[in-house]
Amino acid sequence: MNKKPAIQELVKGLWDENPVLVQLLGLCPALAVTVSAENGLAMGLAATFVLLCSSFLVSLFRKVIPSQVRIAAYIVIIATFVTIADRFLAAFVPDISKSLGPFIPLIIVNCMILGRQEAFASKNGIGRSLLDALGMGLGFTMTLLLLSSIREILGSGTWFGMQIMWKGFGWKVMVLPPGAFLALGCLIAGANWINSRRKA
Amino acid sequence: MNLLVIFISAALINNFVLSQFLGICPFVGVSKKVDSAFSMGMATTFVMVIAAMVTWLVYNLILEPFNLEILQYVAFILIIASLVQLVEMFIKKVSKPLYDALGIFLPLITTNCAILGLALNAVTKEYSFSQTLVYGIGAGIGFTMALVIMAGIREELELVDIPKAFQGAAITMIIAGSLALAFMGFAGLI
Amino acid sequence: MNNTAKIIVVLTIISIISGGVLAVLDSFTRPRIEDYAEKVKNAAIYDVLPESVKVEVIKVKIDDEEREVYKAIKKNEVVAYAFQVSGSGFQSDLVLMVGVSPDFSELNSLKILSQMETPGLGTRIEEEWFIEQFKGLKLKPSVTYIKNAKPSKDNEIQAITGATISSAAIVDILNTEINKVRLAMNK
Repeated sequence: MNKKPAIQELVKGLWDENPVLVQLLGLCPALAVTVSAENGLAMGLAATFVLLCSSFLVSLFRKVIPSQVRIAAYIVIIATFVTIADRFLAAFVPDISKSLGPFIPLIIVNCMILGRQEAFASKNGIGRSLLDALGMGLGFTMTLLLLSSIREILGSGTWFGMQIMWKGFGWKVMVLPPGAFLALGCLIAGANWINSRRKA
Repeated sequence: MNLLVIFISAALINNFVLSQFLGICPFVGVSKKVDSAFSMGMATTFVMVIAAMVTWLVYNLILEPFNLEILQYVAFILIIASLVQLVEMFIKKVSKPLYDALGIFLPLITTNCAILGLALNAVTKEYSFSQTLVYGIGAGIGFTMALVIMAGIREELELVDIPKAFQGAAITMIIAGSLALAFMGFAGLI
Repeated sequence: MNNTAKIIVVLTIISIISGGVLAVLDSFTRPRIEDYAEKVKNAAIYDVLPESVKVEVIKVKIDDEEREVYKAIKKNEVVAYAFQVSGSGFQSDLVLMVGVSPDFSELNSLKILSQMETPGLGTRIEEEWFIEQFKGLKLKPSVTYIKNAKPSKDNEIQAITGATISSAAIVDILNTEINKVRLAMNK
């Protein structure tokens, strides 16, 4: 099998195989928590934490976990780390935990995480799996940060809580569901457009 | 809370897809044809309702009384994964054509955040068993509605020229935005 | 090792490790989380009561549930009651701490403990000017709201433009829930 240079495993998650814009994974949190940049960042980091830990364990034990029960095993591992992340957030930053609401536990069913275990961590060594996880996690976090910044600035005029636009500025729709769909749709279209230009 | 109110809230006002952002992956993935969208919606509703009941029982009869709430996420997702397996085997036995039509999307119901989201919400809101049941049915119907409406629109879109960059997920998102806007109108219903 | 046995062993080991890790996690996060919730609740209680009071907790049965009501005592006299009420808002449950006069005729103050309403619209119910309206609000015959105009009666408040449902929800909760507590306490 032709192995890519190690650094490629990291970089691919940032753009070429960006989990949200290209692979269309993790759309639920991408839409739901990106109301403010702070929330988008927190979600991205939490998901990255879960992805890194899960990929580490799955890769470590990939030769030991029998194939028939691999999905169940991955799920238990992922769910355990999500519980850890959730409890930590609730115990140490309760306000962020409350505004992220049910979406932290929903990291369990974020297809990005389960997907990477099945597609990569179960078939590759620990080093590469960690790089893959880091790349995907960072790509996810960056995309969420971009989307939430757009929504927060256009919707409330602030960024990370700091007033950026003049007071009273705000397209309220951007912080509501329709705005989320619209913004994500444009970002995906934008990514598609950029990619087609690159291939031309 | 009044059962009818819970039902209407879950199906229309706080529609799982268009308002709570749950179940977006199948929403984007399976909404190309109205029949498959409807079948997916029904299969998901079926799993949702049973999952809601089983997770409620496990939480209220086992986890909470024994102070084991920390196991909630692990337990819930395992229950959902097992239910989906069972439903898969059931459909395969009962109607092979339906099984083939749903294909890969059947096992993917496990990762549908709508189901886990539903189970967790019912617990957070401290709904009773019957409230949870109605909540599940309402959520499933709302989910199916969103999928079918989107599929209907996308079928029409096949006949139209969409700019290349927008084809696929992007245009789906934008349409979803208009649908979400429309559904916001239900807010004054109750 | 026989495949089925391997499956059972692996799954059992994973479950045990997961269970163990979670048990440890629970033991050191649960107390912190409960403490924080308790702190928030206590802060809210004192927030809606007049200054320098002693607080006594009494249990009242409402709707088949035992709830806590906080008696505020100053110089051996009851000067106010505080308790938690909740109900549905536009898209989330609203949890409030309210402080009422001893005869339940006036709302001293209210504090919003929890809400997940629409950002920029419904969330404005936490704005100072809106909450100020409720201080000293008369509860009899019931609280009402008016849109796009300053309130003209002392049991009326002005709803938030664009967030009528969230505002109305608060009024509803005050009317129904405070009444329940009043009746349960025979006032």
